[in-house]
Amino acid sequence: MDALYGVEHYFVMEFHQRSIATERPLLSVVDDDESVRESLPDLLREFGFAARAFSSAEEFLASDSVGQTKCLILDVAMPGMTGLDLQQELRRRGQRVPVIFITALKDEAIREQALQQGAVSFLYKPFSDTALLEALNAAVQVN
Amino acid sequence: MEGLLEDPAQDIKRLQRCINDLISLLALPAMWSSDQPSQIVHILLDALLRMLSLDFTYARLKDCVAIVPIEILRIADSCKLKVTPQEIGGMVSNWFEGDGQKPLPSMRDRFRDKEFSRLPVPLGVHGEIGMIVAGSGRADFPRQTESLLLSVAANQASTAMREARLLSEQKRIANELDQRVAERASALGQANEELRKEIDERKKIEERLRESEAALQRAFNEIKKSEAKLRQVIDTIPTLAWCNLPDGPNEFLNKGWHEYTGLSPEESHGWGWQVAFHPEDLPPLMKRWQELLVSGEPGEIEARLRHYDGVYRWFLIRAEPLRDDAGKIVRWYGTSTDIEDRKRAEEALKASEREFGLIINTIPAMAWSARPDGYAEFFNQHYLAYVGLPLEQLQGSGWTVAVHPDDLDAVAGTWQSIMASGKPGEGEARLRRFDGEYRWFLFRANPMLDESGNILKWYGTNTDIDDRKRAEEQLWRSEAFLAAGQNLSRIGSFSWKAATDEITWSEQLYRIYQFEIGVPVTLELIRTRVHREDLTLLEKMIEQARNGRNDFEWQYRLMMPDQSIKYLHAVAHATRDQDGQLQYIAAVQDVTARRMSEEALGKARSELAKVARVTSLGVLTASIAHEINQPLSGIITNAGTCLRMLSADPPNVEGARETARRTIRDGNRASDVITRLRTLYSKKDPQPELMDLNEAAQEVTSLSLSELQRNRVILRQEFAEDLPPVRGDRIQLQQVMLNLLRNASDAMSAVDDRPRELVIRTERDDGDRVRLSVKDAGVGFPPQASDKLFEAFYTTKTDGMGIGLSISRSIIEAHHGRLWATPNDGPGATFSFAIPCRLEGWASGGTGVNRSDPATNAA
Repeated sequence: MDALYGVEHYFVMEFHQRSIATERPLLSVVDDDESVRESLPDLLREFGFAARAFSSAEEFLASDSVGQTKCLILDVAMPGMTGLDLQQELRRRGQRVPVIFITALKDEAIREQALQQGAVSFLYKPFSDTALLEALNAAVQVN
Repeated sequence: MEGLLEDPAQDIKRLQRCINDLISLLALPAMWSSDQPSQIVHILLDALLRMLSLDFTYARLKDCVAIVPIEILRIADSCKLKVTPQEIGGMVSNWFEGDGQKPLPSMRDRFRDKEFSRLPVPLGVHGEIGMIVAGSGRADFPRQTESLLLSVAANQASTAMREARLLSEQKRIANELDQRVAERASALGQANEELRKEIDERKKIEERLRESEAALQRAFNEIKKSEAKLRQVIDTIPTLAWCNLPDGPNEFLNKGWHEYTGLSPEESHGWGWQVAFHPEDLPPLMKRWQELLVSGEPGEIEARLRHYDGVYRWFLIRAEPLRDDAGKIVRWYGTSTDIEDRKRAEEALKASEREFGLIINTIPAMAWSARPDGYAEFFNQHYLAYVGLPLEQLQGSGWTVAVHPDDLDAVAGTWQSIMASGKPGEGEARLRRFDGEYRWFLFRANPMLDESGNILKWYGTNTDIDDRKRAEEQLWRSEAFLAAGQNLSRIGSFSWKAATDEITWSEQLYRIYQFEIGVPVTLELIRTRVHREDLTLLEKMIEQARNGRNDFEWQYRLMMPDQSIKYLHAVAHATRDQDGQLQYIAAVQDVTARRMSEEALGKARSELAKVARVTSLGVLTASIAHEINQPLSGIITNAGTCLRMLSADPPNVEGARETARRTIRDGNRASDVITRLRTLYSKKDPQPELMDLNEAAQEVTSLSLSELQRNRVILRQEFAEDLPPVRGDRIQLQQVMLNLLRNASDAMSAVDDRPRELVIRTERDDGDRVRLSVKDAGVGFPPQASDKLFEAFYTTKTDGMGIGLSISRSIIEAHHGRLWATPNDGPGATFSFAIPCRLEGWASGGTGVNRSDPATNAA
């Protein structure tokens, strides 16, 4: 754990150094599940990010976080616009936002499609916070 | 020639010898006793040979009879000459050619190396008898004396031969005469014989003639007697008889005639009889009489003859000609027969026939009559009017033209057998009406008999049975349908007279009970089949029936001989028969198959429900996973967050507390889900139990809440408060509710312009039922598809199997309920089911349900 903390700390420090002049980077969580919207942002803040949670893709698109968000943590199965749809929409709009998918449903086809459409990572719930951090690193690297 | 005086002693001896020889010769005839010329010659030749010491003597005789002359040759023993008569004959043949007038010379020539002198001597004056030749080798032969001897011998011989010939001639003639006489005598004898025979014959014929004459006489006497008798007969027979001459006038009238008319023979003789006839009838009578006389043919006429008391009576006058061998009419014989009664009877008959005809044509029936041989004579007016044909066309066998071609053979056959039996009979056939239409008729025929039982005539009527026939056909058809229907549907029927226990079964019922068709049915028999456990039920039914219960319906079992069980469902209805007696008419259906299939269906249904549960389980697995994974994910995230918070510098205790709280909450959530799922998908078999529908619905909605929320479905629950408990399978009913909820949710998945409102409502339904309905605001369905929705494999979802609603419906129906769908006034549809509060008649034994008696409640 210490080693891990160490790695994390390094990254956080990196971020801090980079963003001393700026605020914390914004991460957006889009999930229709309430418990996810409750728990995940806290974890992200612990990581040192700013986090905002949205209950639907439409809510997210309607907000001003669209342009500001540095990374999107996205549920797949949602009523209305699904996570994949959102991903496509953003690409259409030319918003190059890295996307990390989180989902409870094990569906290989969706995973494939998501990755093909440029998703950084595809995580199955329940996932460990370490796995999430790795995915975030990958997303940042892309950035 | 030798000289005479050479030796006078020798000469004297020679002359003596010569005289001796002459005497001998003259004595020869004594030796010629026979009449055979040849014998004479033989003797002669022998004598000569001796006497003259010749070498040979030859004789040739001209036999009158034989063509070949007789030649005889005698050769002396001392002469060794071997010669035949013929050779000698040949030598002297030339001598014979002369006429014998001249004396023949002797010759000397050589013959067989010896010299012979031959002297021919003719026999007969002119040698007509023959010739003798004497031959000798002596040179001096023949001497005078020898010649003389020879001549005398020849004369003697000739004479003898002539005599012999004469004698033989005589004899021959005598023989002939004798013969002739004999012949004549025999001929005469024969003729005599014949004559005698003829005489005998004649005598016999005469005899016979006499006899036949006698017979003739007798016959004549007989005839005379029978004439007298005949006369008596003619006078006695109760008919008037007469005899007329060929030209017409009367010769004889019998006694009866005279007695009837009262006319004397003198008055009626000749043409006098005319006065006895009615003046009106006389002219035609005379005319007819003249015609008969001319034609010579027998004939008759009717005329009135006057009785001596002045009354005229009808007579039939019959006349017959009597012809002789040449064919000429010699007499007319006739009878006059009293036909007054007959005439009266005839008129009466005519009158009654007219009347009869009137009747027969008036009665409203088709009538006909036929001769004993089947020749149809009469058809009444109705018949003619019906067929539209004239009488002449129908007579004989012409009536068959109106009979339908298909029925003709049968009718003809029936008519034949009726006639043959001589008994009344009937048959049916179609008869063509005048307008061409065929109608069914019943033909009835009755024979009219005389005293001895012979058939005089056939009488018949035809009755229109067309309507009846059509009704019969329909009846037959419907009976056939019924039987077929019963056979097909395995429904038998029976009737039961309560008072007499008379029971009648249809064929199908026999088959159901497996009794031989036609066996008389008794209650005892039925009891042998009814299942032991249902016997009391049967007794109860019978008792109630006797007490006059109106309608029955009951189910019972049969135990068949092979120990198999049949389930029967019977419905009976009380009626009154024609006599007013109480009679039950019942239908019995073999529902074994249905019961078996129901049970099988029930099993299959629960299997299928299990499968459906499993299937939907599969579908739900995703959502289950989802349901559980959400709280799990929350737990892990929160836990991670908690750790980080505590590791921060300074530790974020408040934050950690919050995350711990969330963790517990999520853990409970997950546990809840599992509990609910366990309840829903337990492996217990369906069992009917009293349950609260609201409670069950509540569970289902709670379980589905998250899913519904995810689908943005707004759920509204309107549960009735006073909902009575229902008996049913909780799991199965919840299955249905789940299915309805899901369907409702799916129906609204594309709805964006209005709230996705789902209303689940429970309420009391009329008739002691409970209703649950699920109303959505989705796409709805066209009204005509309302039943199709419930068909198996009907689905509008791309990933649906389409069995949800069909299973739901069968579950509800197993609860004796109903599941249906109705489109809303607004958008969407409402799916509802209603089930009775309490279920009836589930037991597999015999339970009686009396529809007309609500108080009775067997369950």
